[in-house]
Amino acid sequence: MPVSKNKYYDLDITKTLTKNRLFGLLRLMKGYHWLYIIAIIALAVSTVSRTGISLVLQRFIDEVVIAGDYGSHLVIIILIFIGLALSQGAFAFISGWLSSKTAESSTRRLRNFLFDHLQRLPYAYHAESKTGDLIARSTSDVDAINRFFGEQAIGIGRILLIFIINFTALLQLNTRLALYSVIAIPIIIGVSIFFFSRVSKAYEEYQEQEATLSNRLQENLTGVRVVKAFARQGYESYKFDKENWQKFRLGKKLLSIHSLFWPVSDIVCGVQMLAAFFLGAIMALEGTITVGTYMAFSSLVVWIIWPMRNLGRLIVQTSTGMVSYSRVAEMLKQEREPLTDGEYHPEGSVQGEIIFDQVYFEYEKDNPVLQDINFTCKPGDIIALLGSTGSGKTTLVNLLPRFYDPTSGVITLDGVDITKYSRKYLRSQIGIVEQEPFLFSRTIRENITYGVHRKVTEDEIIQAAEFAAIHDVIEEFPRGYDTLVGERGVTLSGGQKQRVAIARALLKNPRILILDDSTSSVDTETEAQIRGALDHLMQNRTTFIIAHRIQSVMDADLILVFDHGKIVQKGTHEELMKQSGMYRDIFDIQTRIEVELEKEISSVNL
Amino acid sequence: MSTYNELEEKEYGKLTSHIFRRVLGLLKPHWKWAVGFLLCIALVSIIDSYTTFLSKRIIDEGIIAGSREAIVRTIIIYGSLILVQAASAFGFIYLVGVLAERVRYDLRKQMFNHLQQLSLSYFSETPVGWIMSRLTSDTERLSDLLTWGILDVTWAVINIATAAIFMFIINANLALIVIIMLPILILVAFRFRTRILYYYRQSRKMNSKITGAFNETITGVRVIKALSREEDNLEEFSELTDGMYHASFKAAWLSALFLPTVQVISALGLGVVLWRGGMQVQLGGMTIGGIQAFVSYITFIMWPIQDIARVYAQMQNAVASAERIFGLIDTEPDVKNRTNTIETETIEGDIRFEDVHFYYEEDDPVIKGLSFHVKQGEMVALVGPTGGGKTTIVNLLCRFYEPTRGKIYFNDVDYQDMKLEDIQSRIGVVLQTPHLFSGSIRDNIRYGNLTSTDEDIEKAAKLAGAHDFIMQFDRGYEQDVGEGGNLLSVGQKQLISIARAILAQPELFIMDEATSSVDTLTEALIQRGMDRLMENRTSFVIAHRLSTIKRADKIIVIEDGHIQEMGTHSELIRKKGKYYNLYTQQFRHELEAQYDILNKPQPVESS
Repeated sequence: MPVSKNKYYDLDITKTLTKNRLFGLLRLMKGYHWLYIIAIIALAVSTVSRTGISLVLQRFIDEVVIAGDYGSHLVIIILIFIGLALSQGAFAFISGWLSSKTAESSTRRLRNFLFDHLQRLPYAYHAESKTGDLIARSTSDVDAINRFFGEQAIGIGRILLIFIINFTALLQLNTRLALYSVIAIPIIIGVSIFFFSRVSKAYEEYQEQEATLSNRLQENLTGVRVVKAFARQGYESYKFDKENWQKFRLGKKLLSIHSLFWPVSDIVCGVQMLAAFFLGAIMALEGTITVGTYMAFSSLVVWIIWPMRNLGRLIVQTSTGMVSYSRVAEMLKQEREPLTDGEYHPEGSVQGEIIFDQVYFEYEKDNPVLQDINFTCKPGDIIALLGSTGSGKTTLVNLLPRFYDPTSGVITLDGVDITKYSRKYLRSQIGIVEQEPFLFSRTIRENITYGVHRKVTEDEIIQAAEFAAIHDVIEEFPRGYDTLVGERGVTLSGGQKQRVAIARALLKNPRILILDDSTSSVDTETEAQIRGALDHLMQNRTTFIIAHRIQSVMDADLILVFDHGKIVQKGTHEELMKQSGMYRDIFDIQTRIEVELEKEISSVNL
Repeated sequence: MSTYNELEEKEYGKLTSHIFRRVLGLLKPHWKWAVGFLLCIALVSIIDSYTTFLSKRIIDEGIIAGSREAIVRTIIIYGSLILVQAASAFGFIYLVGVLAERVRYDLRKQMFNHLQQLSLSYFSETPVGWIMSRLTSDTERLSDLLTWGILDVTWAVINIATAAIFMFIINANLALIVIIMLPILILVAFRFRTRILYYYRQSRKMNSKITGAFNETITGVRVIKALSREEDNLEEFSELTDGMYHASFKAAWLSALFLPTVQVISALGLGVVLWRGGMQVQLGGMTIGGIQAFVSYITFIMWPIQDIARVYAQMQNAVASAERIFGLIDTEPDVKNRTNTIETETIEGDIRFEDVHFYYEEDDPVIKGLSFHVKQGEMVALVGPTGGGKTTIVNLLCRFYEPTRGKIYFNDVDYQDMKLEDIQSRIGVVLQTPHLFSGSIRDNIRYGNLTSTDEDIEKAAKLAGAHDFIMQFDRGYEQDVGEGGNLLSVGQKQLISIARAILAQPELFIMDEATSSVDTLTEALIQRGMDRLMENRTSFVIAHRLSTIKRADKIIVIEDGHIQEMGTHSELIRKKGKYYNLYTQQFRHELEAQYDILNKPQPVESS
């Protein structure tokens, strides 16, 4: 499906993906290509100016100093010199400015795009992916791509330009000299590529050890009570020291490689430079070249040789950029879930009449999770889903907001197939209160108004919180509604989180409600409060309750009893009580429990 | 003592002489390495300046003077110096790099060992992430300043100084021009570097916010989809990427401006030198080689200057890091041995709480005047709502905390007169969420007694009822438990932590019963394991299961820091009070769980 552009990203990056990774990386710069090209031209101008300075120096020595002509010639040469220096600096700046603008703009666009892409990927994709992996791809891999644009590509360009321009200049000065000055360069590049690929391996090991060490530390800190309870401080220090020492050793190994490379490359570069100096000096002595030429030559040679050592590093590093590109591209290849596609756009809200007609669903082929689901409910009905874990209840309610679509069969809402509604509209009509809802690390106020797409007054928020029986709890926090969820010292229990979600659902005011009715882990008083809040929430809404307890299904208009993905019984409480089956078994147990409780207590009283 | 609140946001520290001495003190044990790298880098720096001088001699004494021999001689000297320099470079890279690693190692070790001594209160007040950054990024920053920072500055200062000397030797007048230029260059460089670092750090901060946003969106994607928050989210996220864009772009273009600015300033200086110097050649005050040397010196002077500026900018952050590190090391543990402790062979005997009060903050008491007496060998069940004070009582018993008022007696001895190690090595604790360490199952059980043999471990595992499930793993006792034990189920972790406690053969056993659900079989195993542990031992259990509660010799109902009710099961049931309510509620939950195909066991827990 086409990705609509918006003001946060003006490019559908999924369309730029290519097999060739280098090409793909360059296409990420789309729209900034000209800036980048100008940056490279500016870099070239700057380098030419730099080379020009050396050549001016040659003129200065030969035509001014040696010729002894200190007239206007000197002034002109000095002015040209300063002019070239200014041009070198200015163009270097322009180049840096433009290339970082390109890199940062492309990266910002990529980040925005990825973020949006992730939140629009189907729920099925998220359910299968590992959070840590997705985060790594969206952050550190994007950073690596940013470095490719901002440092590596332009860095390699810089070294190549320096080489080409200075070598051309050297050729102009003296061909033989020029050729002799670059003999060792292939060796330097070769050695540095060899070295840096070795280093990056050692560095990886070092980083892995860093992670191991951090884990050790974290385990110790989170397990501090166990450590203290067994008085194992000494043992912990011993264990930590082992990893700590290992990191020291790996660091030493990494440094040994470094401490070999740099001196060795120093010697290779130094010998090349000296050889060139020597040859140049002899030629100058013999008069083949002028003294000025020798001076210009020696400064150009220095300028050519030393940057070559970094070429290997940059080349090795680009491979990380490429790997990162493939990892990001893999994520981008996934199809987004269309949110606004749908031919049916009703005015206002839906009524809430829902029909399941021969609905089947499977996550993987030939492994049905839901089979032949049929039922009808009227607007405002309460439908209770009863069944053991894994019997298909959660999957069924996941079909309503179209987190998944049925493998076959049709679900209609107000007589219209729900796949005809846009997901966005459909979801705006459905409220979900989960057993332990996910709260965002924002203030409680923001969590309550999260996803309510209108201006909400303070009074409304407080009213919703009061109905949800959470207002008093919030008021007890030092910062009230402005308390940050997850803030130090403030932890919300599962029940409290659930009530925040109830307040949120009240504000959203949906026509259809999905409720994971778990009043587990709360005391009687709170349980009554939550029940009250839920009753309030369910008024006039079609409600699906994933029930864990028999009490919460008795008032339902329709009870669906699930077993292994099938509805084994359906009807009201009265109807089901008349049949023998799972439902009555469950109910009987409840009664039996009360009897046993009586017995238990009276036995104590004896 | 510096708490983390004060230093949390502080990025720039002031280098006081106290901090300075303390930071340098870190090098003291390795002073030979420090002296070594300083000598090497000094040599490298001097040779750097001297070779430029040699280039001058090639021109003046060789080419201009027409002496082939002088050229050969100078080149040979130059060549040998390159060798010497390479050797010193090898020396300084190795020495300073290893020293940096060593300083990090030392700092981490010192902090880790100190952390082991700190009281539980420190850990409940200080987020784990905060402590971790002390041992990672702060350590890195401080050791870098101490080693590479000092190295760079040494190289730079000597380089500038020797270059100045050679320039004075060549031509004092021109050298003065350069000397006048220096402060301007340094000032400009400092300004730039500080700004660049500021924006750089700004962008790091934005980056971690961006990571946070990704994390939340990915973990909360279901809610986001259900509430159609996509557009608002993207708008909020784009504010983060905008911030990131501005900070990193600014840092990048400031960097791009920095070097050219320094270059242009030095080019102006160079222009003056060429002009004046060129004229002096005729008068004999200057040679052509001299001009060449000046050109090189001035062109390359920007490198030492930019090094000094960089270290200067980093120093402020590193000093802030040092303050935080020293703050951690200087933190005194709240709970420590008193000066006159009594040697204790055993802590067996009656346990008495006498009017025990406890608070973290004075106006918010957690335990308010608790008194009770437990006889040797009794089992006590602590029940009541969360936040009522049960966990605090356990923490006080283990002496993780000490009473702010009142006394706790073990066998009629005030436990604050005993040694911490004596108490804690005799207590066995099984926590609600069992914490395992990554490693094998065997290692985790052995944690209870490090000197135990493999047979002891298996025996303990059998007693705990863990042996059977352990043997079902391919690798048996060598099975890896994963990070934090996450490859095992909660019930399995619990069984292992019971085996661990059995192996420790404690005199006092404390258990925080899990509220989370485990299957019936595991549940029965856990119960049996607990029975074994409680045989003939005084034990305290924060109890959630009826079977545990009913078995207790004494049930204490704790609410709001007070003892609400205390007695045996039948006494309290007859009272028809708090305990009665808790009990009947839990009874329903448990039976539902037991019979019900739908439910998992529900603990008596409150919000």
